[in-house]
Amino acid sequence: MRGYALQRLALGAVQLALLTVLVFLLTSLLPGDAADVRNNEDATPEQVAALREQLRLDRPALERFTDWAQGVLTGDLGTSLVSGGPVLDILAESAGITLVLAAVTLVVVVPLAVLLGIVSGLREGGRLDRSVTSVTLALNAVPDFVLALLLVAGLSLQLGWLPATWVGVGAADLLGQPALLVLPVGVVAARMICLLSRQVRAGMVTVLKAEYVTQARRLGVPRRTLLLRHVLPNAAVPGIQELARVGDNLVGGVLIVEAVFAIPGVATALVRAVEARDVPTVQGLALVVAAAALLFSLAADLVCHRLVPRTEVLR
Amino acid sequence: MTSKTPSQTPLVTVRGLTARAGDTMLLDAVGFDLYEGRVTALVGPSGSGKTTAALALLGECGAGVRLSGRVEAGSVRVVDGDGITKEAAGGLRGRLVAYMPQHPGSALNPARRTGAVLAELARLHHPADPARALAAEALRAAQLPAGRDTERRFPHQFSGGQRQRVALAQTLVCRPRVLVLDEPSTGLDTVTRMRLAGELAALARTGLAILLLSHDHDLVRALADHVVVLRHGRVTAQGAPADALPARRRVTAVRHTPTAPDGRPPVLDVQDLSAHLHSRGRGPVLHGVGLQLPAGACVGVAGLSGSGKTTLARCVAGLHERHVGQVLLDGTPLPVLRRRSPEQKRRVQYVWQEVRSSFDERRPVAEQVARTAVRLRGLDAGEARREALDLLGRLGLDAGTVERRPGGLSGGELQRAALARAVLAAPDVLVCDEITTALDTGATAAVLAELARLRDQHGTALLWVSHDLELLAAVAHHIVVIDGGHVVETGTPEQILDAPRATLTRQLVRAMDLGTALTATDLATAPSVSGA
Repeated sequence: MRGYALQRLALGAVQLALLTVLVFLLTSLLPGDAADVRNNEDATPEQVAALREQLRLDRPALERFTDWAQGVLTGDLGTSLVSGGPVLDILAESAGITLVLAAVTLVVVVPLAVLLGIVSGLREGGRLDRSVTSVTLALNAVPDFVLALLLVAGLSLQLGWLPATWVGVGAADLLGQPALLVLPVGVVAARMICLLSRQVRAGMVTVLKAEYVTQARRLGVPRRTLLLRHVLPNAAVPGIQELARVGDNLVGGVLIVEAVFAIPGVATALVRAVEARDVPTVQGLALVVAAAALLFSLAADLVCHRLVPRTEVLR
Repeated sequence: MTSKTPSQTPLVTVRGLTARAGDTMLLDAVGFDLYEGRVTALVGPSGSGKTTAALALLGECGAGVRLSGRVEAGSVRVVDGDGITKEAAGGLRGRLVAYMPQHPGSALNPARRTGAVLAELARLHHPADPARALAAEALRAAQLPAGRDTERRFPHQFSGGQRQRVALAQTLVCRPRVLVLDEPSTGLDTVTRMRLAGELAALARTGLAILLLSHDHDLVRALADHVVVLRHGRVTAQGAPADALPARRRVTAVRHTPTAPDGRPPVLDVQDLSAHLHSRGRGPVLHGVGLQLPAGACVGVAGLSGSGKTTLARCVAGLHERHVGQVLLDGTPLPVLRRRSPEQKRRVQYVWQEVRSSFDERRPVAEQVARTAVRLRGLDAGEARREALDLLGRLGLDAGTVERRPGGLSGGELQRAALARAVLAAPDVLVCDEITTALDTGATAAVLAELARLRDQHGTALLWVSHDLELLAAVAHHIVVIDGGHVVETGTPEQILDAPRATLTRQLVRAMDLGTALTATDLATAPSVSGA
């Protein structure tokens, strides 16, 4: 276990380093820069050049990268070219909302998906299994924005039960107004429950047929113990890996849902920064989101290895 | 110590046990008794109903199977006229009757530590006794070192042979009164098998009633007090092993000296071959092995499991890429398989153990076998099919059987189909890796006859890998013994059998005759086998 954890952590560190380079490279490939975008069309080339120098965009890429990387290592993501404030502030503002949304979604999704997966896996091919499968697959087939618009049209506009947008809401007000969360969480959860419960179900079906489960039953292990101690640890593995992927999506922000409900989350902030060629903000947000994704997959791998310790780090 | 008088009351009584699946009779009025401290063997070819009968003792049957008759274990009525009783649910499985499956490796949960499962089973069946002490005792009885190190390990941290012991410890920790062993000697080399036989005899002496399911007549002869022979679900004979089993027949020699004149270069020449498991020479498995295979000859490769026999075969077949040294076919170096020309592929064919995964599950077996002749010899489909059916027939597989998909064939039948698939290429070198372990005596004889014919008519040279020295002595004109990746001895079968020099060769020779070995005093101290 310890050997695996160390190897996996080392792999994570390498991934993070590569990721840092990649984020920087990709953002510097964006056409135009902040000096171009910020000036209106009648600015003279001299004015643009002056602004470029002022924003220190004229220096070689390698120099800019080392500057930026040093900042990242000391916890300084740089200064926004647009607002002039630290990127960390922008991050804190948008990440708070995204984290609340993600956490609430997970609290709803995980127990429900695990329960549905286990129940339908236990009754593979039965009526309950087929209904759960049909409903979750149908929900998964409806695009997010269609589902979001349908819900808004029905529940907000027709019936007026729930607020339709988050315009003017900050992270601080959020917990005071839980009604705001219902629609966005519902839309995101609809898809994620499907993905997750399918994986849990598949794990259950495979493991229930495994020879070691048959043997445990033949040695007289009662059903409850069999499920909890012999089946679940193995069956959970694909579900946990799927959960890591689902978690990535949530933290990266679910752009369409944010757009439909006007939620000022990470995805919205990222799109805005790209539009303004606010490179330090793009880099900072992308790095944090990607690092979170790495962290999720690291955690998932470590948990799975703890459950079924025969996996290798790299094949 | 219990006496073995027949007047003793049986612990398990089976009378008129019948199993039906639709219109098919799986078992027809089967009856036998099990006694404390005695070994009863259910013997029969695969598909004869051995496992169905054994699982009935646990109150278990396959989906769609209906049991009737009478099965009583201790005071529990397990099966009556209406099938499995309600009593069978509690207190029977594990506590009274414990079953040890055929492939114990896959019967171990990869997510559970050895000690945790043993303690769980101990608490479940014997809540009053200290679980850890029971677990340690079971480990010792299964010949594993008791202690924290063993208890903390996961199944994948044991070798194949040790996993079988872990599975045995799991059954023993339930402290059953009846132990059912399903083909316990499958896949064991002869030396390890001899050791297993000694351990099972010791278990029976502790008062366990043992039901042994096996087609390994030697093992049954060495262990069983009473033999029940099943065929097509019926008891065809029962009694003491000497009466119920056919007389022990040595494999008849089909060996003959190679027809090729001396001095002709060998068709296959392996020179100074070393192989490793990992890149850059890490994990060596073969060290400087050399052998020559003249046309029409048969060279046997003997050794224990894990000695590198299969790696040698895979190097010749081009499947093991991490090797140095050369494999020459008629003086030309053979590249790895993916770089071989179709003609080179045709000339060197390989038949291995565990062939099921090499067949496509969705197509009939005959079609897949015939395909070799189309691909490698350019025959048209009709001709290839005729040849395939002909050959399969000679190997004892009728047209009805081979028109099924692989799922409908037993392991032994598929093994012969795999052999036919290779032989249809009309190879010059045929590598046979333990191809008879899944076969009964009749099927083995058919395979040997077909290979002798191939050598006579086509001049095919055989490289025969096996742990069974008796078989090799019967087929090979020259034997190479491998231990730990080194060639430790070579010679003619007579030299090897009559005057073995290396320690391993002596062990293999001694293990040849299990019956004799078991009565010998050295059984209790049978050589411990590393890496088994």
